[in-house]
Amino acid sequence: MKQNYDFKIEKIKNLSPEEIILRKKNLALFYQTGFPNKKDEDWKFSDLNSILGKNFNNISNNDFFPKERGFKKINEFEHNFISLLNGKLISTNFSYEEKNKISLDNFDYKNEPFLENKNSLYFLNNALATGGFLLEISKNYKLKKPLVIYNNFSNSLKETIVNYKNSIILNENSELNLINYINNSSKENFMVNILENIKIKKDSSLNNILINNSKCNCYFYKYLKSDLEKNSNFENYLLSSGLKFNKLDIEINLNEENSKSSVFSALNLMNSEHQEIKTRINHNTPHCHSYQKVKNVLNHESKGIYQGKIFVKNIAQKTDAYQLSKALILNDAAEFDAKPELEIYADDVKCSHGSTSGSIDLNSIHYLKSRGIPEKEAYQMLINGFLCEVLEKLSDGKIKNFLKEKLERQINGY
Amino acid sequence: MLNIKNLEATIDNKHILKGLNLDIKPGEVHAIMGPNGSGKSTLANVLSGKNGYEIKGDIKYNGESLSELSTEERAQKGIFLAFQYPLEIPGVNTNTFLRTSLNSIKKARGQKELDTLTFLKLVKEKASELGINEKFLSRQLNVGFSGGEKKKNEILQMKILQPKLSILDETDSGLDIDALRIVADGVNSYKNKENAFLIITHYQRLLDYIKPDFVHVLSNGKIMKTGDAELGIQLEKTGYSNIV
Repeated sequence: MKQNYDFKIEKIKNLSPEEIILRKKNLALFYQTGFPNKKDEDWKFSDLNSILGKNFNNISNNDFFPKERGFKKINEFEHNFISLLNGKLISTNFSYEEKNKISLDNFDYKNEPFLENKNSLYFLNNALATGGFLLEISKNYKLKKPLVIYNNFSNSLKETIVNYKNSIILNENSELNLINYINNSSKENFMVNILENIKIKKDSSLNNILINNSKCNCYFYKYLKSDLEKNSNFENYLLSSGLKFNKLDIEINLNEENSKSSVFSALNLMNSEHQEIKTRINHNTPHCHSYQKVKNVLNHESKGIYQGKIFVKNIAQKTDAYQLSKALILNDAAEFDAKPELEIYADDVKCSHGSTSGSIDLNSIHYLKSRGIPEKEAYQMLINGFLCEVLEKLSDGKIKNFLKEKLERQINGY
Repeated sequence: MLNIKNLEATIDNKHILKGLNLDIKPGEVHAIMGPNGSGKSTLANVLSGKNGYEIKGDIKYNGESLSELSTEERAQKGIFLAFQYPLEIPGVNTNTFLRTSLNSIKKARGQKELDTLTFLKLVKEKASELGINEKFLSRQLNVGFSGGEKKKNEILQMKILQPKLSILDETDSGLDIDALRIVADGVNSYKNKENAFLIITHYQRLLDYIKPDFVHVLSNGKIMKTGDAELGIQLEKTGYSNIV
């Protein structure tokens, strides 16, 4: 991209002199390379620099002080919520829960250590982030209802980048169903850059769902780092179709025995949507499980990418790790790239991976049509069946139905 | 109802049907028998509108040229094919499929679509007639079904969609005696003056249960001989070689 971005630390209010120095350092580090491009192995399929160059004239930052405004809440199931507008914490409601068991606050930039991911978006986030939250669930507390995080963005974010950080801690033996709900239908191009740190302590369980609710010109990046303790469980469901660009960069550290993680993804990409799921699952200790299933349907000239790495440390015997990616390519101009990587230093492990891509089965289409189902609907049924399968393991029936309906809307093009 | 004149069909440069003639009137049951490779399944595929065939000749269905109609339009107008190998459709619930199918047909005919409750009542009733366990209906379409279950499911679809012309492509293959009887009962109970059947089979045994009005012997892409139910019985004894 031509150097037409305009980032100013001065726009951010209430910073201490130390913070200003640290942020300026990070900004300088960002400027050394600019936005990630394909020369970086991690970004070889998603040249963000050139994608932004083609779609933005200029990108700038701002410090937002938005007023609370109404937004449409999910009414399919009862839930607690946190609402963010442009990353800033606006309102919360934990009316279903015991109040003293949940702590929620603005992200604390003075005391929270920064994550260590050395790509330039990380430096940019360190330099410009404002807003975000810190959520902590008390020991032995299992939330009675799911928690929805409404990620709202105002429609005025023309050629603006929003950066924020979140931190989520589940203390021992706690449980949370979390739904990250992206809600925006902006026609203007804007970018979101989130760093999120999740700690799941002993015997705890986190269901982490990401769903995008409407088609928008959002360029989304999220780096999620998670650390799992003994007997903990971390399940991810990624349903982000409709974002113009999306890269979910997920690092899961299985640090103590019998921890389990999974990543399920179902994407139906249309037009020139470009979405990448990149995972790094680190089996740092014996007897841990990881499971990944990534499904993509690619229409028009869309592009889908899955880079999935499983790392097994030498002491991590009895590791059970699995990854599978399947893609349906419906148009010659669409593209799917898969890069599975296994790096294994232990000898008594079960690791497998697979990747398939192909077109839709025309005999199946004929079968459905022979029952009077119009061709377009027959395609939608097959696509729906192909993608919905990743939701099968979800135990909460109401959430599952909700996600199925959303997925169906995504498949039908909203 | 169905008038086929001089039908030829070619696929991948293979000339399979070579001038087939057949007339079916409402209320009639026709059986087509013939050796392997004679073109039986090609006829079923061509009638259902499957892509990939180069077709010559003329097929009229209730006076309308079939070649102008897409597969789904044929189904909407009352043509039903029970597949020799019903397809497994992962992720698609059998009930949802049945309802979408029935409502697509109703919609195309300008009839009122069925709401969930009315539909479930209907499907439950038809399933129990065929001895199909309700739990199959909430499973993925044909996925993990046994051969017999898949064939019963085809007959269930027929009974729900109520076609005018039902083509059964080797519905008896892979069925044990009990399942064969259930399938035959399903067909017999649906048979009336308004609708017609075209039953494609290798063996006489299905015809012991469903009495055909006409039996045709198909060989080398043409109908070589036509007779009544007796012809089927004769074929069982003597084989095709004496006829074709």
